Amino acid sequence: MGSRQITEKALTMLRSLPRVSLGNIRDNPGYKKNPKRGRGQHGGDKHGAGNKGSGQRQNYMRLGYETGNNPFYLRMPHEHYYKGHHLRRQYPPFSLHELQLIIDKDRLDISKPIDIASIVKSGMYNFTPDEKHFGINLTDVGADCFAAKINIEVQWASEQVIAAIEKMGGVITTAYYDPHSLYLLRDPKKFFESGQSIPRRMIPPPDAIEYYTSAKSRGYLADPEEISKDRLRLAQKYGYELHVLEDDPNYEMLCERKDPRQIFYGLEPGWVINLKDQCILKPKDSELQRFFAS
Amino acid sequence: MNLYFRPKLLQSRLTSVFRSATTVSEVVQNEQVDIDDTENSLAREAEIEKKRNISRLSAAHYNVINGRRPYKEPMALPHLTVKYNRKMYGKYGAASGVNPNICWPSKLDIEEKQEYEAVAYPFTIKEMMTMVAEKREQERLKTQQRDNEIAAKFAKLGQWKKELKEKIAKKEAEVEAAKLKKERLIEEVRRHFGFTLDPRDERFQEMLAKREKEQKKREKQARLEAREKLMIAKLQQKKVEGVSE
Repeated sequence: MGSRQITEKALTMLRSLPRVSLGNIRDNPGYKKNPKRGRGQHGGDKHGAGNKGSGQRQNYMRLGYETGNNPFYLRMPHEHYYKGHHLRRQYPPFSLHELQLIIDKDRLDISKPIDIASIVKSGMYNFTPDEKHFGINLTDVGADCFAAKINIEVQWASEQVIAAIEKMGGVITTAYYDPHSLYLLRDPKKFFESGQSIPRRMIPPPDAIEYYTSAKSRGYLADPEEISKDRLRLAQKYGYELHVLEDDPNYEMLCERKDPRQIFYGLEPGWVINLKDQCILKPKDSELQRFFAS
Repeated sequence: MNLYFRPKLLQSRLTSVFRSATTVSEVVQNEQVDIDDTENSLAREAEIEKKRNISRLSAAHYNVINGRRPYKEPMALPHLTVKYNRKMYGKYGAASGVNPNICWPSKLDIEEKQEYEAVAYPFTIKEMMTMVAEKREQERLKTQQRDNEIAAKFAKLGQWKKELKEKIAKKEAEVEAAKLKKERLIEEVRRHFGFTLDPRDERFQEMLAKREKEQKKREKQARLEAREKLMIAKLQQKKVEGVSE
């Protein structure tokens, strides 16, 4: 169809249409006014609350009330062992099998000490400190096929896991981090870009102190001598020959531990890390130094 | 349909419709500016750069895209905060023009933090360790005490069992004796009447009462006699003693 035809058609259409007259034009906006004047904010309507009943009166029933039914929250029997579950520390599990997997896939550098930051960086593990997650619980799934010599720091580990790692000549430490430090470890880049100085790691709460100070759980606050004794005990219990750390070529790496106040390997509290300028700023003020050393 | 175009909106729409026309007019203006600054090559370069920027981004966004801080001077109240300035330093480094000494907490911050920590962490690790050790010790003592109690009771268990069995046997024997006595009485009554009488019968009851009375009498008599005998025996003994003396 040519453009001429379209024009023709439009013109014929226009000719057939009635002429614009007073009878077929719309009123000017605001010409007519509603003769009724409703009272109240929205002209006397129901303010979006609906018609009739508890909805309109906005006397909502108490939470969980089901208008006379046996309420859902009371239908189940009381289970006391869940008491305070919303306040307890949680350690989302990460198995030795998965750890072996990320090592085999070269997502984790085992020539350096491993901590929660490096495991999160591998992309195979994540946690949310605001859901009371306090770090990794390294579980013994795949303990039999675990074959890597590592220096690892987790937040919770069972005896079997400790034995599996020490059997391979590795070292394991269980360390507590307060939620704020865990946020930093989960996303160090975000923290460094916020331009704050690295804070100190806080001490564990009273109900966790026993775990983190005992040599049996390889706590980071335990006596190193006790730990070396317990290493031998565990080796005898599980029947493997204990590797002598002092003779190891990677002795330096295997013996690297964080200070109880330290969050990142190699970085001390009080330092400011600038990623743009690739520089570290250290405080010189004595008061600041004292604060960050305390 | 009632449509209401705000003048501002209309203007912007119009400019977008007649974009090509406006750019042409701008070019004319810019040529005039160029003529003014012909000597200043730097300004010219800047002008060219400005023209090359066809991104239509706002200045702030253009800065962010090119790795510079969005605003040179504060545009809103939050831009005056320490947090924002720290962020600017953290993200854009020394080029942001922020003095990095704001990255550390101030004296007031430190004081506040210390006050908070004094409340949030009232115990040192050593104190907590001793507390836990004490708690464990108390638990251990409690279990040990209970164990001891149980052991002591267990040692006596055999004796207690024996005593209980004896007590039960004694009671049973008593009951048996009483039963036998009763049966005997009934048997006697029956013999007296010569036929079996219903124990609920009045005559039977009477007879029984009588018999019991007799029995009691006899028992009493026996007791008295026994006492007398005893007395006599004692007297005799005394006599014998007196004689021997």
